[in-house]
Amino acid sequence: METYRIEDVVFAFPEKEKEALSHISLTIKSGEFITICGKSGCGKSTLLRQLKSILTPHGKRSGKIYFCGQPIEEVDQRTQASEIGFVLQNPDNQIVTDKVWHELAFGLESLGCDSATIRLRVAEMASFFGIHTWFRKNVSELSGGQKQLLNLASIMAMHPSVLILDEPTSQLDPIAASDFLETVKKINRELGTTIIMTEHRLEEIIPITDRLIVMDEGAIIAEGLPEHVGAALNRMKHPMFLSMPTPMQIHAGVSSGLPSPVTVKDGRQWLNAYMSGKTPVAIDIIEDSPKQASAPVIQFKDVWFKHDRNGPDVIKDLTFTVEAGQFYCLVGGNGTGKTTTLSLMSGILQPYRGKILIGGKNPLKMNVKELFTNNVGILPQNPQTLFVKKTVRLDLYEMLSQTALTKEEKASMIDEMVAFAELDHLLDIHPYDLSGGEQQRAALAKVLLLEPRVLLLDEPTKGLDGFFKEKLARFLQKLNASGVTIVMVSHDVEFCAKYGEICSMFFDGSMITTNTAIRFFAGNSFYTTAANRMARHIWSDGVTIEGVIERCQKSR
Amino acid sequence: MKDRFSSFHPIVNFVYFAAVLLFGMVFMHPILQTASLASALLYSIMLNGKKAVTFNVLYMLPLLLVTAVLNPLFNHAGVTILFYLKNGNPITLESIAYGVSAACMFVTVIIWFSCYNAVMTSDKFIYLFGKIMPALSLIFSMVLRFVPRYIAQLKVISNAQKCIGRDVSQGSILARARNGMTILSIMTTWALENAIETADSMKSRGYGLPGRTSFSLFRFDNRDKLVFLLMLGLIAVILTGAVLGENTMRFFPSIKVPDKSLLSFTVYMAYLGLGLLPVIINVLEEVKWKRIESRM
Repeated sequence: METYRIEDVVFAFPEKEKEALSHISLTIKSGEFITICGKSGCGKSTLLRQLKSILTPHGKRSGKIYFCGQPIEEVDQRTQASEIGFVLQNPDNQIVTDKVWHELAFGLESLGCDSATIRLRVAEMASFFGIHTWFRKNVSELSGGQKQLLNLASIMAMHPSVLILDEPTSQLDPIAASDFLETVKKINRELGTTIIMTEHRLEEIIPITDRLIVMDEGAIIAEGLPEHVGAALNRMKHPMFLSMPTPMQIHAGVSSGLPSPVTVKDGRQWLNAYMSGKTPVAIDIIEDSPKQASAPVIQFKDVWFKHDRNGPDVIKDLTFTVEAGQFYCLVGGNGTGKTTTLSLMSGILQPYRGKILIGGKNPLKMNVKELFTNNVGILPQNPQTLFVKKTVRLDLYEMLSQTALTKEEKASMIDEMVAFAELDHLLDIHPYDLSGGEQQRAALAKVLLLEPRVLLLDEPTKGLDGFFKEKLARFLQKLNASGVTIVMVSHDVEFCAKYGEICSMFFDGSMITTNTAIRFFAGNSFYTTAANRMARHIWSDGVTIEGVIERCQKSR
Repeated sequence: MKDRFSSFHPIVNFVYFAAVLLFGMVFMHPILQTASLASALLYSIMLNGKKAVTFNVLYMLPLLLVTAVLNPLFNHAGVTILFYLKNGNPITLESIAYGVSAACMFVTVIIWFSCYNAVMTSDKFIYLFGKIMPALSLIFSMVLRFVPRYIAQLKVISNAQKCIGRDVSQGSILARARNGMTILSIMTTWALENAIETADSMKSRGYGLPGRTSFSLFRFDNRDKLVFLLMLGLIAVILTGAVLGENTMRFFPSIKVPDKSLLSFTVYMAYLGLGLLPVIINVLEEVKWKRIESRM
């Protein structure tokens, strides 16, 4: 039985010439697990929103969409509300009520179920999802992962036959994300619910997906089993191949004639098969000759911090130094004090013991101008908190409104920044209408107008796809080359391994190890990149995809 | 000590407080007022412990005295003149008695309200309103969700602006005002933008379909029924007393308390019973628990 049949759907937003979806044809069988991927703005979300009429944006559509054999327009709203579950991106925005139990019941209340039915279904869902321990809590007490799980559960309480998820894990940290995906997998496997989801984190989703669909410019460019799609993308030399799981990429980089691995486990077996009879070659880690001991920019000396008098210590005896021109990455689990450390650097928080020096001075004793102009620049986790004006251009000018520059000087500064951040085609757009990656760049441009010497970044890769990450990385490297010191807090291990210079592991309020990126990840066994987990039994220092490919190719 | 009366169905809680508050305001009779004040005091101490004691001694006692003294200064009705003030106005026994009675009523009602606040939490209130107007209860619930969320977001925005030197705590007074406006404007844009997704989430879960029901975790079980009936019985006795004129007294022109009879005695007992109902429930539960504990 088929859940959806999409026949030659073309869709264009009002007053736009370009088609957002062009000639999409797709059949989705009941119980299938379908993953759709593609660059941001490729039409994934637009396609998903066509599948539930109440969420369909305005615009011109041609072609037919059938839900269980019936044209979607003719399926009444009540059936659509209960049969088609839709989980959106932001966990916070989807929660409507103040209590967990009320949120679980919300959909059923709308459908007009009686109290006994709601009581039963809510109880079932709470048990299935393991929510019963926080069933009576206020939603504001939940973590991001719990919130998204609650959204999923409150939709599952309506017993949908198909579940559509639009980048559900993009705002979650890796642990919460894999928990969430695990639950989605359980729903598909144990309840037989059809799953259609879009996702950036392909590494974890591909092993459980039945069919992978790749979209570009509103059209489907590849479709089928993940292994086949990966091979097809590689043949096309398509940039989306960089989002495929690491084992696939390594396999493609080394021509072996063996079938393509998908998971790290398969990858290890493949690597063993490939390496049998060959001697692994050792490649010395070529590190940039250690920069001549440059001046320390940020110094932490025995710093302790807690949020309130009787609260637990968040930062415990933290001592470290960031030198001028470094690209410094802070990695580690949730709630280990990484973001708090950034706030301490910017003087928003104040340690109760120990000393923090920014360029040799205490940030709390500097005045605002001294600290934030030509000195420390901070990109907040949510770039939206920086945008003030109607267009990107006005927003950039606003940043200079309090300086004593002439009009020409301002204009030339902004032109320079716009060229650097590649914002020229976005200048007259409202900042909120930009995509995640573009917002990130616009916000960064804003901060850079203050000409910081130290740039603090809080999870800059959150919610970005592989393509935009690459772009951001190049952008940061350019900045770094021009002498700006970068300190970055991130969960994105792959990103830090590839582009970071120094990495530090945070745990329980202080740093456990600090080393150059390659040595750092080579020294870890679990908290490391997928490439390293796959190849570390042969090359413990093979950290990046490129590094492992190079070693494979050179081994004879 | 954990209050057991709070664990009853919101309807039971609400009717109880409605009754004691209303009766406390209307019935001006020394015995009834003393009963009401005593039970209110007892229950408030049971609910809030030490805090209630300090509140009652520090604020309620002075309030009681001041109100009691103020009335005879301005009210000169009554036939029993005790003495004359310097300006020639008489101070009467009736006005003093009325002052004490009114002050007592005032304080009793305030203490009952403090108990009400501790027992009727927001979700009970929402539930009761939801019974009358389902849409209103959802709005209450959404307000309780979004107000804390917006406050948290305001803090995030303020911190982000602080990092570019544009917070309300930075710069000259004029700059601060401007920064404050900017932060509010960012907040508004953010709220409107994100509300779109909330609306999508609501619509996608069928909000707006006709025939919406309102769900709650509260159940009206047998013990609720028992207490509710008992309460209604007591209220009926008290109301009968009121109709027969047993529950009020005359202050002006001369003091007249209704004659004591079997009926009036029954009414007094019913009134005391109603007032002490939560206290009795708490004590009974405690005794029961102690007994179970000793057997284990």
